[in-house]
Amino acid sequence: MKTRIREYRARHRLTQEKLADMVGVRRETIIYLEQGKYSPSLRLAHGVARALGASLDELFLFDD
Amino acid sequence: MKKVAWGIFIAALVITLLLIALEQYYVAVSLVVGTVVMRHRELWSLIMRRRLPPVDERVKANTSKALRNGFVYLAGITAFLMLPLGRIFIINLTTQFVLAAMFLSTGLIYLLSYIYYDRAAPKMSQWRLERLRWFLALGGISIGVFIISVFLHNVISGFGGFEEPVFFVIAVILAPLGLAVSLVGTLTLFIIGLAARPPAGEP
Repeated sequence: MKTRIREYRARHRLTQEKLADMVGVRRETIIYLEQGKYSPSLRLAHGVARALGASLDELFLFDD
Repeated sequence: MKKVAWGIFIAALVITLLLIALEQYYVAVSLVVGTVVMRHRELWSLIMRRRLPPVDERVKANTSKALRNGFVYLAGITAFLMLPLGRIFIINLTTQFVLAAMFLSTGLIYLLSYIYYDRAAPKMSQWRLERLRWFLALGGISIGVFIISVFLHNVISGFGGFEEPVFFVIAVILAPLGLAVSLVGTLTLFIIGLAARPPAGEP
């Protein structure tokens, strides 16, 4: 799985810490999400997408 | 979250005072250390940031896995110490010393597991993760082989009327060697994973 969270976060000029606070997770969780090393729950994925003003399809890219 | 943290703290304090009143000092100390180990995240965050850390789904999942490992270890060590073979190791020790050692080591297993899932595993490559599983499996197999070899050596020596050599060598040399290799390999990979380059910072 690849994500575009880092790209969208940069567009919104959000730090990892700020995004983590917005969705109620630790900074490490955002780091591993950005690196595609953690598969989030639907609830967390939705929270991140909403915080970044993007859809799930735009943020998370799966290798078919 | 704060209520849970306070609840655990007060419960641990009451049980510790009870244990001190019963003169079970080793168990009391191990309980205090175990509680500190189990709540290290909260304590660390309170000291460094003066607030409790968020409990997100990764924390919950990692805590569950670490608790599972601690419970499996505690169950395994309890079962082992109930075996005639296991009792040899505690024959000259007091009950409270054995209990304290069990609680402390369980706390350590929990802590190492948590650190592994939370900090080391995400930074390790697939190759290293596979090698780590291999070393852990080697450790488990070595312990199993040791117990079975001791049992078979005693049975064959007892019924045969001679000192059985093959299982003796396996139990005394090969199994401990396998366990040593497993421990060194696991710890090495664990430390390499932990010390790996920190995750990417801010853009």
